[in-house]
Amino acid sequence: MNVLEIHQLNKRFREHQVIDGLELTVPEHAVFGFIGQNGAGKTTTMKMVLGLLKPDSGSITICGESVRYGETKSNRHVGYLPDVPEYYGYMNAREYLALCGEITGLPKKRIQERSGELLELVGLGSTKKRISGFSRGMKQRLGIAQALLHEPRLLICDEPTSALDPVGRKEILDVLYAAKGKTTVLLSTHILTDVERICDHVAILHGGKLALNGTLSELKEGHRQDGYALEFRSAEEAARFAECMKSNRFAATVAQEGTAIKVQLQLSGTLGGGQSIIGLLAHQQLTPVRFEALEPTLENLFMEVIQ
Amino acid sequence: MEILAQYWLFILPLFVIQLALALTALVHVLRHPHYRFGTKGLWIIIVLLLNTIGPIVYFVFGRGEEE
Amino acid sequence: MSGYYAFLKKELLESIRTYKLLILIAVFFIFGMLSPLTAKLMPDLLSSFLPEGITLTVAEPTALDAWMQFFKNTSQMGLILTVILFSGILGTELTRGTLINMLTKGLSRHAVILSKLTAMILLWTVSYMTAFVVTWGYTAYLFPNDVPPHLELSVFCLWLFGTFLMTLFLFAATLVKSSYGALILTGAVSALLAMVNIAPLAQKYNPLILALNNTALLTNAIQPSEMYSALTVASICFPLLIAGAAVTFKKRLL
Repeated sequence: MNVLEIHQLNKRFREHQVIDGLELTVPEHAVFGFIGQNGAGKTTTMKMVLGLLKPDSGSITICGESVRYGETKSNRHVGYLPDVPEYYGYMNAREYLALCGEITGLPKKRIQERSGELLELVGLGSTKKRISGFSRGMKQRLGIAQALLHEPRLLICDEPTSALDPVGRKEILDVLYAAKGKTTVLLSTHILTDVERICDHVAILHGGKLALNGTLSELKEGHRQDGYALEFRSAEEAARFAECMKSNRFAATVAQEGTAIKVQLQLSGTLGGGQSIIGLLAHQQLTPVRFEALEPTLENLFMEVIQ
Repeated sequence: MEILAQYWLFILPLFVIQLALALTALVHVLRHPHYRFGTKGLWIIIVLLLNTIGPIVYFVFGRGEEE
Repeated sequence: MSGYYAFLKKELLESIRTYKLLILIAVFFIFGMLSPLTAKLMPDLLSSFLPEGITLTVAEPTALDAWMQFFKNTSQMGLILTVILFSGILGTELTRGTLINMLTKGLSRHAVILSKLTAMILLWTVSYMTAFVVTWGYTAYLFPNDVPPHLELSVFCLWLFGTFLMTLFLFAATLVKSSYGALILTGAVSALLAMVNIAPLAQKYNPLILALNNTALLTNAIQPSEMYSALTVASICFPLLIAGAAVTFKKRLL
């Protein structure tokens, strides 16, 4: 069952058609990475999904229920973590969760149980201080706790890690990954390493629609380009290798940068091409410091798409 | 001090309230050194010397954002 | 109207933790005390300011003077302070973005408006009552057995006006994003009501007289029946303003 379905979504801000015929489906239990440049429209899309912004046209359904602007009925399936979460500073974490729980309509006992569990999960279990004294990372963690409080089917996170240090980032990503079993995660970000770390589905928003969409492995498979990166101890060695490689029948392009060489192969018979490089190295008595098969990275894919 | 004796029913509660306001404000000023404008010293003076008005001005205008 | 009760509790908690309740009770308590006190001491105060040799015959103060002070204090300083204290009630939530999370969780926009209005009215009522009780107590002590006519009606009129003003302010706050803007708008409407008051016909229906005629009622310069039209108008405005606020807020982009 698809937790989120978006069909033909359009949104224009003055002259600019921000979202243009967007089609997006998020299957259950996916960890869906929604990436795009700054200003591509990720937050806009999310706001429309949450009923905070009115689309010009198109439909959005969450777990089969339509989303309508100004009404928040469909939101009981959704947990939302905004990019800069703001809370009532005079409350402490538990009080805030209690408020959230009451608004969602959870019974008191359940709120207490869930609050306890979730605060432990996000590492805020022992803090009694008021939210006004929270660091950015703590607020983010509270954000996840409150988003998961009512066990939503879909968790939407807007740039959950952008303001965090590496430790904070890892913590948040771990929590999000752990949440995958119980819910579906849709996160927007421009930090591609995060996406590679925990996402299994990826979509790139560009020009108002999805320029790329699929599971991470599919996308990488589809863009597999056979190439190798080598690094030598000196630029001279690299140059020597480059010269020889250029006459190799497998090589499409050979690029040198100082001590590093990138070889792009013509045929997709990787094994043959790779072997010929190894043969060349042996023949020339060259020992590379590094010899690596180039996997398509998300960064490459991204750069390609936004050209 | 005849007036004092006659009007203790007024003066005492007035005094107590003003004291309560001033003290609450003072404690807050000391414990939360973030203000929208002004310094700690300034607010201590305002809160203690300007009866009633001082603490009110602090709580409404001078107190730091969060909270 | 999802979440009304929960959000109302939050509003009340907020007024405690942000010291609004403390300030309101303290200030209105002081007003309550000052009113009879200044009434009693007025002749002494006046004569102490006069130069030597000139004596002023001032009538012996009565409970009426005390209540006059009460109405003056609460209708001017009291109301203004209350509105100023609540001026950020909608604006800050919008600018800071604290409301977004609540709305996405299912808090209905109507509930937001109604819970904030309820909180404002509750606090206004409690503060006003504090002043009233204190004035009543001290006036009974200083001017025993002296209760002006139509006191309850007069007190009620001012209370209703306060409620009307709060509702007007909340409506203004849904129209204008900033708290200052809402204050200015409310002030402008009040000024308008004051100007309109010049015309005798308008005077009859003008809610503002609920805050202007309080003392006149006590001296019998005005009869209670003359207030009924204004009371009705204010009462009708009340649901209209609430509806206006609710509708405007629903349409509002966050």
